[in-house]
Amino acid sequence: MSENIVILMIGVSTFLGALGLIALLWGVKTGQFDDQSKFIDAARYDGEEELRDAVMMEEKKKEQKKKAQKRKREAEGKKKNYMPAD
Amino acid sequence: MYFCCKGCQGVYHLLESEGLDTFYDKLGNTTLQPATARISEDLEKFDLEGFKNKYIKTNEDGLYEIHLIIEGIHCSACVWLNEKVLHKTDGIIEASINYSNNKAKVVWDPEEVKLSQIIETIRSIGYNAYPYDPSLQEERANQAKKSYYSRILVAVFGTMNIMWIAIAHYAGYFTGMQQGFKDILNVAEFILATPVLFYSGWIFFRGAYYGFKNHIVNMDTLVASGALSAYIYSIYAMTTQRGEVYFDSVVMIITFVLVGKYLEVLSKKHAVDTLDSIMGSTPTEVTTLKEGVKSLVSIENVQVGDLIELKPGEKVVIDGVLTSGQGSFDESSLTGENEPVHKQQGDSILSGSICLDSVIHYEASKDVSGSLLTSIVSLLEESITKKPHIEQLANTISGYFSTIILVIALLTFAGWYFINGSFETALIVGISVIVIACPCALGLATPMATLVGISIAAKRGLLFKEATFLETMAKSDLLALDKTGTITEGKPSVLKAETFEDFDPSLLLALVNTSNHPISKGITTYLTEKYDHLQTLQLQNIKSIEAKGIEAGFEGRMLLGGNASLLQERGIDSHTNSENSLFFFAIDNKVVAKYELSDTIRKGAKETIGQIRSMGIEVVMLTGDHEQSAKKVAKEVGIDQVHAKLLPQDKSALIQNFQEEGKIVVMVGDGINDAIALAQSNIAIAMGRGADVAINVSDVVLLDEKPQSILEAYTISRRTYRAVKENLGFSLLYNVIAVPLAVAGFVNPLIAALSMSLSSLVVVGNSMRIKFLRFKGEK
Repeated sequence: MSENIVILMIGVSTFLGALGLIALLWGVKTGQFDDQSKFIDAARYDGEEELRDAVMMEEKKKEQKKKAQKRKREAEGKKKNYMPAD
Repeated sequence: MYFCCKGCQGVYHLLESEGLDTFYDKLGNTTLQPATARISEDLEKFDLEGFKNKYIKTNEDGLYEIHLIIEGIHCSACVWLNEKVLHKTDGIIEASINYSNNKAKVVWDPEEVKLSQIIETIRSIGYNAYPYDPSLQEERANQAKKSYYSRILVAVFGTMNIMWIAIAHYAGYFTGMQQGFKDILNVAEFILATPVLFYSGWIFFRGAYYGFKNHIVNMDTLVASGALSAYIYSIYAMTTQRGEVYFDSVVMIITFVLVGKYLEVLSKKHAVDTLDSIMGSTPTEVTTLKEGVKSLVSIENVQVGDLIELKPGEKVVIDGVLTSGQGSFDESSLTGENEPVHKQQGDSILSGSICLDSVIHYEASKDVSGSLLTSIVSLLEESITKKPHIEQLANTISGYFSTIILVIALLTFAGWYFINGSFETALIVGISVIVIACPCALGLATPMATLVGISIAAKRGLLFKEATFLETMAKSDLLALDKTGTITEGKPSVLKAETFEDFDPSLLLALVNTSNHPISKGITTYLTEKYDHLQTLQLQNIKSIEAKGIEAGFEGRMLLGGNASLLQERGIDSHTNSENSLFFFAIDNKVVAKYELSDTIRKGAKETIGQIRSMGIEVVMLTGDHEQSAKKVAKEVGIDQVHAKLLPQDKSALIQNFQEEGKIVVMVGDGINDAIALAQSNIAIAMGRGADVAINVSDVVLLDEKPQSILEAYTISRRTYRAVKENLGFSLLYNVIAVPLAVAGFVNPLIAALSMSLSSLVVVGNSMRIKFLRFKGEK
């Protein structure tokens, strides 16, 4: 057994493990493990409908952001057009 | 389809129209509480400016954010339903509900929807929501939990991978391995150990740094210096290809100690959760009377001297004095006694109690912040964060120990450098002193013994929330017991029954079933136990008579049940008197039966208290009940020190007094009224069926509620403490022999490895001996 094979084996297996670890850490960071009971119970209600629901919420968020930007722009526009009476 | 009421039908049609009727399939076997029609008149308050300032946060996008506690959730399907309904509401950007504590976070666009509409939506499907203030405390607790979780994940990942590489290493050590392969394994271990030490172990470095700033050598210093020196030594061994690497012990120390710390963080968060629900369920406004005009006033604006109206079922939030009317009050959250207290004009009314049966008027004698309920909650908050922990033996010893070892290592290094002149040899010998001294035996001494102690306790229905509590408990010299619910059962039961004339017990059952009074409940239990096949009878004209009894009619006959004063009032001769509570049952003004009831003392309480006292522990009784009945119970179980008529904060003050006298106090209690005292005591023990708050602030929970368990807790903790001391003694002895050898430069890797594992084995074996502990009354 040459040394290169050992390096390759350790390297690949650790890398694969690290991918799993990174996925877990991302899950913790985005709050997917905040609620232990949800982790178990909510799995029962998971399905197509839930996915659609999540998409709907994301679209809502996007729409709201757009609106907020529009409002902001309008407000800025007003500011620019404002001329002090002299 | 059949509906039990209009409310449920309304909810069903609403869900069907929204396409959410799969809710009923998701429920499974859970039965729902009937939905009650909610009053909607208080909805406007959610849109008031003052309310907004208090609870609503505005985030950077201009969206509003609020934290709510949802009431009425009993299974996960309810959470699902609430989330779905909120998601479908226009303007709501984010809604997430926590499955374990029913707290929700809702983010919405104030331009599209109002908070009152959101609350109304939740109410329309049969739930209720009230806001709470997610004080910094909770947010911080959450963040700490998350950060620990990530650190543990990294640590566990590193440890597991290093372990399998280390197996190859050890195999090679005994059978021989080429240097080339050894180098590969060393580098792989190094790569894995580095993030564990510096990311996961960051907490210990931080703790050691703060300790250093305050001139304290703590457990963190030991862990940090031990792990760091082993790490540096291993890098040295790796690069020079001399000696063995110790990366595996580096990550193991970090991982084990980290997991222990994480458990502590978890238990703190639970306590915070319950506090919020106490405060949240209290009303935010009261009805005041000014010159005959009724108005709703927010509780912050009530001034001393204002006249307040209280309706049946309402919770008192402001202390005061009763001015007109009379009624019964449930003061169980203040005194722990289940029996309602009858109050009339001139009596003081305490916040936290609940008005049970009539409309009364009272005058505020304090404002909100000065009232009892608010001060209880703030006291509780304070004591959770500042719980007094006695200094732990293992920590003090390891503190001194690590200082001494560090000094010895430095001296060794200096000595070898002067005598030998070689920097390299001096460094190796110096570091080998730290490595051989630090990790295994001393690190394992305490955790191993406490782990065995905790698992034995758990098998006997005693849950210790943290390992260190065993040690504190073993040192305690004062036991404070609550009366109702701890020494006694907490509910009256029938001691003696006398029947003067034959009657149908179903009649009496129907009568007592109409009341929630503890005495009636005691009679109900007695009847259902004694007689089979009792019928359910329908009574007419049921009338409850203030603090005296109940009256009802059945097929033209008049039924009367109550105490002696009720009989006297009706001109019936009761002709007895007893120190127990009496309940008479009369049909058509003729007494047919008499029952004597009393709160019974738990079985074995007297023997247990005697045994605890013979261990040299002082026993004190603290109760909210009046002196007479407290003394009676105390005499029966053999306690001489009795403190009666105590309000929650008095109990806590007493415990503080004991602590100032230098006592280490164990407190046993079960109710909300004991919560502050429990939080103040060094070790708090709660009864398994006690109030949530009491369980959450306590350190030990007795699942089977037997008084013997208190004794067992003492026995187990004292035995465990002895094992800890033995372990520490042994590992110190080991170090006294091993360290000088290392200083002299005699330690080669083989001796180090052998002596290390041998010393750990001794510690583990000694801890296992706790399992042979025998309890009284068993073979």
